[in-house]
Amino acid sequence: MLATWKYRPRNTFIQSLDPRTRLIFMLCVIFALTIPEIWDYRIVFPLFIISLTLFLMARIEWKDIRRPLLFIFILVFFIVGLNGFVFGRGGPSSVLDPTSPVLFTLPIKIPGTDWGWSVPVTISKAWFSISQIVRMLSMAILAIPIPYTMDPNIYGTAFKRMGASDRVSFTMDLAFRFLPTFTRDLATTVDAQRARGYEMDKLKGGIAAKIRKLAPLVIPVTMQSTVTGEEVIDAMDLRAFGTAPRTWLKDLHYAPRDYVILAFGAAIFIACCVLKWGYGIGGFFVPDFFTKLLLG
Amino acid sequence: MNNNNSTWEFGTRQVVYGAIGAALYGAFSYATNILFPLPAAGNISFRPAVAVLIFFGVAYGPIVGLLAGFIGNTIGDGISGWGFYWHWSLGNGLMGMIPGLIMMQITDFKARNDIMKAVGWGTLGIAVGMLFASLTEMFVGGIDLKTALVGYFTPAFIGNLVVTVILLPILMIAFAGVAARRGR
Repeated sequence: MLATWKYRPRNTFIQSLDPRTRLIFMLCVIFALTIPEIWDYRIVFPLFIISLTLFLMARIEWKDIRRPLLFIFILVFFIVGLNGFVFGRGGPSSVLDPTSPVLFTLPIKIPGTDWGWSVPVTISKAWFSISQIVRMLSMAILAIPIPYTMDPNIYGTAFKRMGASDRVSFTMDLAFRFLPTFTRDLATTVDAQRARGYEMDKLKGGIAAKIRKLAPLVIPVTMQSTVTGEEVIDAMDLRAFGTAPRTWLKDLHYAPRDYVILAFGAAIFIACCVLKWGYGIGGFFVPDFFTKLLLG
Repeated sequence: MNNNNSTWEFGTRQVVYGAIGAALYGAFSYATNILFPLPAAGNISFRPAVAVLIFFGVAYGPIVGLLAGFIGNTIGDGISGWGFYWHWSLGNGLMGMIPGLIMMQITDFKARNDIMKAVGWGTLGIAVGMLFASLTEMFVGGIDLKTALVGYFTPAFIGNLVVTVILLPILMIAFAGVAARRGR
């Protein structure tokens, strides 16, 4: 078993940015859409284009990204999109506008009975569903490339330089370094238990029995790690860890391009807040072209 | 085994076990997310990693639980290639932190009463952590309260609870033996 980070160095603009810049920009977009509660397609769609552009600029290979993309699309389209399309839930109350033209009525019945109810699918719900999907994807596709394009060795330094304490940053750094060790231990344990006749692929019984039968894998690895921990603590104590501020091997410096991206992120956040709270722009509404498109 | 540290101490021990808990949580999450997923019912998934997280909270305190949950979930999502979702990482952090509040009262890891206490506080941690993450999804993802509770919270709570009730007592009993042999 090999559990590794998906990171690979690539000669791209995205990877030339400081990791702090990318994290802060992502938070700016998420907060710009969520704090002032922006639903207006004139704001949401351009933000989606920006996110999609950054995503494509990361140049991640399709074979690497297809599985997480599939997971995100299923979540967004079926749980969020379909829920919005049928029930109109998850947005402002104007989505459930009773005067919105009905496209069709969906009969929902409890299987095996005549009980049920009819749910009207309106133009308002249909547009909301599209807005909702685009809005969520705008945020998700900024987050997806991070593991593929950000060096795991730099997370600790990045969080330290973003204001986290030495201890928190060092915990993060240490966790990334322990990961390959523990996955190797887990692989060794799996092999050792298989040699004793443990058949992981043929766990029998109900769910509870199957979970209990995972104990021969979980317990040895966890207990061995607690023993390793004591040795690491001794080594760190001998080096007087925590008695003075730490220095970090890797250093981070903002380049002019980072300041541009940071300013752009801040501008997006401020603009969304000002438009919504200052001018009342950004709320949900159904554009005329969509109504005409569906009603002819 | 006695815990002589104060509940909120944040020293070398907490740094190291926070990192170990996070790495284990990430490794086990990856194993059951990608390599050998456990059978699920509906959209409920069972992650043995949750029991390990709660065990680290109970054994080493709330700071360790918080760090292990937050960083471990970030690692698990990262190596699975799913991205970074700060609110779910924070929810997982709370799930590890709350059981850690009982650390000082756990004196014997193989005593029935102490195991019951740990499972009870673990259940509370799962409820609070998953509720936080699900409700935050309303603001981040724009879902409504019903979807947050039915579609997100309930499956996460049930799946994590089942795993914790089964594996946490086994982990605690095993840990009692290891701690006794090491003398600390």
